Amino acid sequence: MIWEVFRQEKEGQYHTHCGNVHAPDREMAKQFAAIQHGRRKPTNSLWVVPKDEIGEIDAEDVAFGGTTDKSYRWATAYNTAGKDAREVVESEDEQADAEKQRGEA
Amino acid sequence: MDLDTVKERAGPRAFSPADDLPEEYRKAATRMIEFHANSEIMGAYLERPFIRQAPSIDRKLAFSAKVQDEIGHGQLLYRAAESLGVKTREEMLTDLANGDGKFLNCFHYGMTDWVETPMIAFFVDGAAMRRQATLRRTSWEPYAHAMDKVCFEEGFHVKHGEDILRELMTGSRAEQQRTQEAFEEWWPRIIQFFGPTDDKSTHHDFATSVGLKQQSNDDLRNAFLNQYIPKAEKYGLEIPDEPRIRKRDDGTFEVEEDDLDWEEFFAIAKNSYEPGLDQIDGRKAAQEAVEWVRETIDTDATTAGGHAPQAAD
Repeated sequence: MIWEVFRQEKEGQYHTHCGNVHAPDREMAKQFAAIQHGRRKPTNSLWVVPKDEIGEIDAEDVAFGGTTDKSYRWATAYNTAGKDAREVVESEDEQADAEKQRGEA
Repeated sequence: MDLDTVKERAGPRAFSPADDLPEEYRKAATRMIEFHANSEIMGAYLERPFIRQAPSIDRKLAFSAKVQDEIGHGQLLYRAAESLGVKTREEMLTDLANGDGKFLNCFHYGMTDWVETPMIAFFVDGAAMRRQATLRRTSWEPYAHAMDKVCFEEGFHVKHGEDILRELMTGSRAEQQRTQEAFEEWWPRIIQFFGPTDDKSTHHDFATSVGLKQQSNDDLRNAFLNQYIPKAEKYGLEIPDEPRIRKRDDGTFEVEEDDLDWEEFFAIAKNSYEPGLDQIDGRKAAQEAVEWVRETIDTDATTAGGHAPQAAD
């Protein structure tokens, strides 16, 4: 049985997928995960999930983000006057990064 | 974990559902996040009629995207609150419909004219974002994670709201005048967004000591005024004489509290502000109207023998 493993590097961060292990039950899966995925890279916590329990949809099933031009829903589409608040600038930068990544994908 | 340990270990994203936390922490966090979630939902309902009233197709698209975002933020936050194990999402939604759920003062007031939209979409969202940015460092990890997504999206709301304000203030003289009037009406409520001053805030000390809250009401209000007063003036809005706002020598602001209607504010806080009850009833009617959707989802999930169903909103 395959178990997918999600690693959280530091307290407070997200658990992100890092690989999988092969084990007959949850206890063994946790032990293997700790050895295979928690030993080298810094790890605060691991989630171990049966592969069968993961539902997947991909770009063939769904047009993620829709198929029409949605530039109106990004901060980067609006030119405003004067200096923005720090948190608005941060948000806009994050959105610009995401836009770039979408373009590269 | 006892309360002293919680206070000792309190820090950004320090606690997660795996931790055994005392009742006081769970209750305080639930109260805070539920209030936030309710506010997202009530804000979306306040703004929803303006999708139809938007003056152009671009505004209509952007406004419907914004309302969609806010409902989504509500959903994220109910999950973050639910993970504390004090109240279920169902209970929080029922309380909101019954008038037992608390939410932001600004969303108790009705809105009738398009010129009022930047008051919410620029000033109130701007104020909210100031606060939300600090909450990315809150001690309840699911809340902080929700704030990551909320802040990512919220920048668009503020910029779009500012764009509407710019359009109105460079429009006809009548538009400029009506926008100024809306600003004068909304300004005191916007100042009250951050709640009473620190010395009168009842929940501040505990929430801060356990790392839930990151900045005091006064600090947040100051930072907001510092950023948004120059912006308002740039677009040609005149800051009303009341409530009196003074700039201190160090550049921070001082608000004359006596100029604000705290009686109205606390009536709102108790959900006993008469005009605001329409907002609650409207939301309740909407929730009842889609009861059949929730029932269908529940029935489907039970017959399929799947996991416990999550009600749709």
